[in-house]
Amino acid sequence: MALKLWASSAANALRISCSGARTPFPAFSISRCFSSVIDGLKYTSSHEWVKHEGSVATIGITDHAQGHLGEVVFVELPESGVAVAKGGSFGAVESVKATSDVNSPVSGEVIEVNPKLTETPGLINSSPYEDGWMIKVKPSDPSELNSLMGSKEYTKLCEEEDAH
Amino acid sequence: MRLQRSLEACKFGIINYFDALKLQERLVSDRKSGKILDAILSLQHPPTYTLGKRQTDHNLLVSEADLKTMGAELHYTERGGDITFHGPRQAILYPIVSLRDIGFGARNYVEGLESVMIEVASFYGVNAHAGKTGETGVWVGDRKIGAIGVRISSGITSHGLAFNIDPDLRYFKHIVPCGIPDKGVTSLKRETEMELPPDEVIHEQLIHCFAKVFRFSDIQWKKQ
Repeated sequence: MALKLWASSAANALRISCSGARTPFPAFSISRCFSSVIDGLKYTSSHEWVKHEGSVATIGITDHAQGHLGEVVFVELPESGVAVAKGGSFGAVESVKATSDVNSPVSGEVIEVNPKLTETPGLINSSPYEDGWMIKVKPSDPSELNSLMGSKEYTKLCEEEDAH
Repeated sequence: MRLQRSLEACKFGIINYFDALKLQERLVSDRKSGKILDAILSLQHPPTYTLGKRQTDHNLLVSEADLKTMGAELHYTERGGDITFHGPRQAILYPIVSLRDIGFGARNYVEGLESVMIEVASFYGVNAHAGKTGETGVWVGDRKIGAIGVRISSGITSHGLAFNIDPDLRYFKHIVPCGIPDKGVTSLKRETEMELPPDEVIHEQLIHCFAKVFRFSDIQWKKQ
């Protein structure tokens, strides 16, 4: 228990943020406290992230989410042109005999879908914020992003969930 | 301080797969909106083959017409996992729980379901274990005694586990179970040397173990 508290405050102090280089995922449970959270992205309480650049919102699931899922073996994604709604499901990831719905943080139209995920669904585990991106959406209402969490809030949510 | 968390356990007899699916969908929706607390359905199915989200029907070795002749149904579902068979004398548990409230992620949840079946098998002197990576489920040696296929929608689980008490194992010959060739299936009846109690007792044991593994403080029993 003490170790977990130490790890948690260390992670908090460090606010581990990675710019692409993935460190190998440790096998033991305190590794959850080291789930990376990237500054500059927005987050949902259901563990999706969104990167807003101009008129494009790129969406995926977070490091915390992929860690809790286990190895992703299959990803179901929508087609381009499909409409998504904030909080609504746009697809699913399958890991370890469990399929989990993934929800869109924003409403809009899907303009691009990551083609690599069919062949290499594990990209979601190895690179959740970069190569493992899932869809790109043209937001219909960019103000929806304002109600999402920033990296500080999201880190706190992860800690609270893991402290169960 | 431990929060009091109740589990509502609903016991059914043999119910049709489609009816059970509709019931689960309703319960998931009610759980999502907070209308109900965590629940678990305990039942058995008539002979039914089911496929998961990946629709791996290449693992079905007979035609759909042949299935009808056998008196079995085929269903495509949204759960994880590959093809499997459900039938009478196979205990099915469908927990409808909020993963966030129980403090589990998908992987731990599946591991928890495995441990429930392993523990109940041990009551009958059967030494079962979880599979290697990629072979989820519960095994006795290299024979599968329990299968898992779960769906998680907005953090609420549905589908669940299937534990072979004494189903007709010949039905498994028509599929590559869970997409894993060269491994057999087995049942509690085959593996134990003890006399088995009525199925209802085993269903209740599974529910008690589930409540223990997932840290529920009490069970409210409901018979349908």
